[in-house]
Amino acid sequence: MYDRTLNDKRGELDWPLIVASFGLMVIGVFFVFSATSAVEIAKEMPWFQQTFAKQIIWCAAGCGAALALSKLDYVSLARWSTVIYWAMILCLIGVLVKGSAINGSKRWITLPLGFNFQPSEFAKIAFVLLQANFLSRPVEELRQTKTFWIALCLTLLPFVLILKEPDMGSALVFLSTSLVMMFVAGIPKRVLGTLVATTAVIVVLVAVATLMAPTRLQKIVTPYQQKRLRAFIGVEESYNVKQALISVGSGGFSGKGWRQGTQHSLGFLPRMGAHNDFIFSVIAEEEGFVGSVVILTLYTMLLFYGIKIASQARDRLGKLLAIGVVALLFSHVFINIGMNIRIMPVAGIPLPLVSYGGSSVVCSLIAIGLLHNVHIHRKSY
Amino acid sequence: MNAPYSRLTVLSVCLMIGLGALGYPLVNLQVLKHDYWQQHANDNTHRTIAREPIRGQILDIRGNALAYSSPVKTVCADPTLLGPYRLIVAHALAPLLQTNENILADHLIPRVLSVTNGKTNFSKYTLLAHKVPIDTWNTIKDTMAKLQLGVDEKKIKTKDQMFYWALHNKAVFSEDDQIRTYPNHNLAAHVVGFASNDELQTGVAGIEASFNKQLSGVRGWRTTEMDKRQRELVAYRDQDVEAQDGLNVILTLDARLQNIAETELAVAMNRHHPISASCTIIRPKTGEILAMATLPNFDPNHPGASSADALRNRVISDIAEPGSTFKIVPISGGLNEHVVKLTDMFNCEHGHFAYAGKILHDHKSYDVLSVEGIITKSSNIGAAKVGILLGEQQLYSYIHRFGFGSRTGIALPGEVNGILHPLAKWSKVSIAQIPMGQGVCATPLQMIMAMSAIANNGRLMRPMIVDRLEDETGKVVAKYQPQFVTNVADSAAIKDMIKALKTVVTHDGTAPSAKLEHYTVAGKTGTAQKNEHGQYVQKFFSSFIGFFPADDPEICISVVLDEPHEGGHYGGDTAAPIFKAIAEAAANYLNLKPDIDLPTASQSLLTSAGEPVTDHGKKN
Repeated sequence: MYDRTLNDKRGELDWPLIVASFGLMVIGVFFVFSATSAVEIAKEMPWFQQTFAKQIIWCAAGCGAALALSKLDYVSLARWSTVIYWAMILCLIGVLVKGSAINGSKRWITLPLGFNFQPSEFAKIAFVLLQANFLSRPVEELRQTKTFWIALCLTLLPFVLILKEPDMGSALVFLSTSLVMMFVAGIPKRVLGTLVATTAVIVVLVAVATLMAPTRLQKIVTPYQQKRLRAFIGVEESYNVKQALISVGSGGFSGKGWRQGTQHSLGFLPRMGAHNDFIFSVIAEEEGFVGSVVILTLYTMLLFYGIKIASQARDRLGKLLAIGVVALLFSHVFINIGMNIRIMPVAGIPLPLVSYGGSSVVCSLIAIGLLHNVHIHRKSY
Repeated sequence: MNAPYSRLTVLSVCLMIGLGALGYPLVNLQVLKHDYWQQHANDNTHRTIAREPIRGQILDIRGNALAYSSPVKTVCADPTLLGPYRLIVAHALAPLLQTNENILADHLIPRVLSVTNGKTNFSKYTLLAHKVPIDTWNTIKDTMAKLQLGVDEKKIKTKDQMFYWALHNKAVFSEDDQIRTYPNHNLAAHVVGFASNDELQTGVAGIEASFNKQLSGVRGWRTTEMDKRQRELVAYRDQDVEAQDGLNVILTLDARLQNIAETELAVAMNRHHPISASCTIIRPKTGEILAMATLPNFDPNHPGASSADALRNRVISDIAEPGSTFKIVPISGGLNEHVVKLTDMFNCEHGHFAYAGKILHDHKSYDVLSVEGIITKSSNIGAAKVGILLGEQQLYSYIHRFGFGSRTGIALPGEVNGILHPLAKWSKVSIAQIPMGQGVCATPLQMIMAMSAIANNGRLMRPMIVDRLEDETGKVVAKYQPQFVTNVADSAAIKDMIKALKTVVTHDGTAPSAKLEHYTVAGKTGTAQKNEHGQYVQKFFSSFIGFFPADDPEICISVVLDEPHEGGHYGGDTAAPIFKAIAEAAANYLNLKPDIDLPTASQSLLTSAGEPVTDHGKKN
C-alpha cells in the first residue's frame, strides 16, 4: 500500500510556521512604514528609497535565502558548520579591528555598495549550527566534562568577541541559546546547574561593580551600559525607557490607529530606534493591547511549532538545530519586548522579522529556513 | 531516550512562563494603567502658551507718548551645547550684546546643578542679556547660524553633525520680553512714574502705579500641541484667546507746558539753589492739571540712577507750612461771612502784635491797612486779626472747605493729607498763627487747588490728571469728567478776593515781578519760615500762586521753591519771576486772549525807543 505520508521522503511544508512568519513580516513592514513615514514623507523621499521599501527587499532576500536553505538537507549543511563558524569568528574579529561604529558600538562592517553587514547576527546562526552539530554526539559522550568545556568554549568565543563590540544584548543571546541547547542535548543537570549559578554570580558581581564600585572598577562596562542598567533597576530615569512605556501604555486596549501614534511621529520615542529596537512600542501604541496580543500570539505559534518540529526531528542534530533556533528567537523576542516594557534593561536587540534591519531580517529568515529544513527532512533517512 | 523528551517539556513550560512574563506587564500597562500613561503622552505634547499683552501707553493730552512698551528679547544660552567652542561663541556675541568677552565666556561655563549617582547634571540655562532689541536678536541668530568653528561640517560623522546643528541653532535662544521706554526721559517723570524692569512691568510709581491694572491688559492663552523639538502642530490648536493689550492712558498733562515749567524751574534752580522747585499748572474751571513739575527729577528709564529724594513727587507728597499764600483762606472766609469788607481798616501794630503771650511779626512795619491792603502787602498781623474776627469755628470750617487736611484725591500714588489739627488741639495762639499760614501744613497741590477754587468763582474742583482711557485702536473706553467738590465762598466774596489778589502784582504789592504785560494776574506770594524743632529758623519756603486772566481765569500756576539760598528768599523775589516766565510762555502756547489792550504799534516803538508811556489811565 502506498502511503504518501509514510513513503514521501520529504515532508510537507509547515504552514502555521509560514503563516506566522509572514504575518510578522507584513506587520513589520507596515509599522516600519508608520514609524519612519513622518520623517521620510516630510523629506519628500520617493517611496522606493523609504525604509519600508528596503525592509520589503530584505524580507524578499531573506525568504529567498530561507527557501534555498530548506532545499539543502541540514545534515549536509552541518558538515560545513565548523568552516562557517570559524569564518564568522574571523568576521567578528574583523569588526573589532575595522568595523564602523554607530552610537559608540562597532557592530557593522561596511560592504561595497554601501551595505552595512552585522556579523554578530550571522554568527548566531553559525553558532547554532556548530553547537547543534557538536552536541548531536552520543549522550554518553555528553556526560564527559571535556565535552561540556568544549561546548562552553564554542559559546564563549563569540560571546567575548561580541561583548567587546560592545553588544551586551547579542552576547547574552549566545549564552541563553547555548544553555538551552546543552540542556536539551542532555548535558547533566548538575553541570548545567553549576554553569547557571556561576553565570548568576558573575552577573551579580558585574551589576554590583557597575552600580557601587569605585570608578576605576566600573570600566568593566561602558558608560551607556551603566546608564541602562541603572535605569532598569530604577535608580536613574531613562528618557528612552520612559517614552517607550508611555507609548505602550497610552496605546490602551485598541490603540490610536495605524500611523496615528504621537509618541514616535512627534519624536518622543527616539527616531533612531522607533523602527528597529523600539518597533514594539510603535505597534503597542497604534494597535493597543490587541496589537500586542497579536504579536505575542504569532511568536507563540512560531516558537511552539518550532518545539513541535524539534520533537518530530528525525535525529538529534535536527532536534538540537530546531531547539537552537527556537531559543535564539525566543531570546530576541523576550529581551526586545521586555526592554520596551521595562522588565529587561535596554539592549540593542531587534525584534525578529518585525524590526527594521537587513542582517536581522535575513538571519531570522535563515533561522526559520533551518527550522523548516528540519521539518521537511524529518522523514528522510 | 526519555530524558530529552522530558527536557523538551520543561523547555515548553519555561517558554510559556517567559511569554506570560511579557503578557502580564502588557495587561498592566495597556489596560489597567492606560489612563496614567495616556496622561503622560498628553503631557508630552499638550501645551498652554501664555500670550502676553503689550502694556498700554501713557500719552499727554495731545497724543505725545510719555511711556510706551515694545517687544524685546531676553537672550539665553544652553552652555551644555557649546562643547569646546565657548570662547568662539563669546567672542562672536560680546560685541552684539555689548558686554565684555571674558565675562560672557564665564557665563557660558556650564554650571553644576546637582550630582546624582556620580552623574553630574549641568544647568541648561544661563541668561546672557536682558532687553535685547529684536533687530539685535536677529543678528545674533544669524551670527550663531554662520559661526565659523574651524571644522568642515560637511565631512563629519552624523552624531557630530547633530552636535553642530544644535550649537548653531539651539545653543543660544531667546525669550519674549517687553521694554518700557520713556522717550522724553525726565519730562513729567513724577507724574508718569515708572514700571518695574521685569517681564511683568508692574507700575511702581506715578500713573504707572495708579493705573497699573488698566495699563497691564489681560493675558491671553493658546492650548496647542507640540512635537519633541517644541514645534507647534498648528492643526491641533485648540483654545486660542488673544491677549487684550493694555489701555492707553491719556493724561490731562500737556508735554509742552510741562516742558515750559521744567525749563523755568531749571532756571530757578540755577538762580536760587533751592533744595527743590515745583510748579503746577492747572485749569481752574475743570481742575485739569496741565503740568506738574518738580526738580530735582529723574529719568524713568533708569530710576535706580537717581536718589530717593529725586523720585518723590513733592507736589503731592511733601508738606510745608504754606505761609502767606494761605491768607486767601481766612480773608475769603471773612469776606464770605461778611465779618469784614475789603475796605475795612485794620491796625497792623507797626509789625509787633502781642497775642496770647506771643509776639507776631510782619516783614515790614505797617500802620493801618485795609483788608485789600493786608493781601497786597501780605500783612501777617492783619490776616491774624481777620482770623480772630472770624472765630476759631469758622476759620476751621473754611480751611476744611478749601480742602486742607485731606487728600485732594488726585489719581497719583503717594498723596498725603497735610496737617490740620482739630479744633480741640488748637492753642490760644492758633487763631492768630493759622491765618498767616503757620501751624497748618499743606501740599503744594492743596494750595493751588485752593487758589483755583477762588479763580473758579468759589467752586473747588478735584484735580484731574487723567483725561481718558483708550484701547489700542483709539476707541475711548473711559472719559473722565471734571469733579466739583464744594463751594468755598459765594461769588461776591470771591469777586472781592480776586480784586484784592490783583493788587499783589502791582508796584504796591509783594510781587510786582509777577505782573504780565497782556494779562491781569491775581495771585499771592508766600514766604514761610521753616520750623525746625519748634523754632522758626532762617530757612524759607517761598512760593507764588497766581491765575490769569484774573476775571476769567484760564490757568492757575503755582511756583514753589524750597529753601532758596541765593537771590533773596521772598516769594515775590524768587517764585514770582519764575511764575511770570512760565505764565508768558504758557499763555503764548495756549493762545490765551489778552485782557489788557496791547499798545499800538507806534506806541510800542516809542516805548522801545526809551520814551516812557505815561497815559496808562487812558488805556484802562
